[in-house]
Amino acid sequence: MSDDIKKYFNDLLQKVSGLYVIQIADRDGVPLLRVSNSQEKNVDFALMPSFIPTFTTACDQASKLGLGRNKTIISMYSNYQVVQMNKLPLILTFVGAEDCNTGHILALEHQVDDYLEEIKLAVIEP
Amino acid sequence: MEQQLEKVLSEILTQQDTVGALVANRQGLCLGAKGNINPNVSGIGMAISEQVAKLEPNSTLPATVCLYSGNKRCVIQKDGDITGIIYKQTTPATATTAATASTSANN
Repeated sequence: MSDDIKKYFNDLLQKVSGLYVIQIADRDGVPLLRVSNSQEKNVDFALMPSFIPTFTTACDQASKLGLGRNKTIISMYSNYQVVQMNKLPLILTFVGAEDCNTGHILALEHQVDDYLEEIKLAVIEP
Repeated sequence: MEQQLEKVLSEILTQQDTVGALVANRQGLCLGAKGNINPNVSGIGMAISEQVAKLEPNSTLPATVCLYSGNKRCVIQKDGDITGIIYKQTTPATATTAATASTSANN
């Protein structure tokens, strides 16, 4: 993974206050890139093997509601919030504090598209 | 449910030069938008107002941010849990009127 992509996502992490982790994984949950704020809380749960496949399943089910393809799932917990974006074949996961600016995270979606294209090339079979 | 909010937004749009308005909640999510404004700017607008509020941490008055860009202005104000974002666009006609008024005031 080229260093400039990692640097870009690290800069992005600093821009949103209260954001702990940005993780890019494939749809099976294999992490491709992970940047985290080392001073902040330990959020290793985002790396749990069941985390991404659960989102993929939820996303597939939500797509059957007749409202079109599901793009984003926001999960609010007592101490965290998790924003997961369906960018198949990639899954983008943001983990932040419960009072983190959700709208700001959602606005990042279009900003990261160009960088995700580069990562997609590495994931898609030739 | 949000009729009252829609009414307020419509009222804001009737003000001179105003082209769009939105309100965001404390999560930076758009509660309502009217006019020529992208609802996705709610998060960024709130982030700007939060950063600006840090300049005067002891101030009890809500900070107002005004961003100028060409003939457009973006006014952001955070009051408690609610953030309001208003887009204004100066049309050539109003700009001329304002310039004339300022010249006559100077004379």
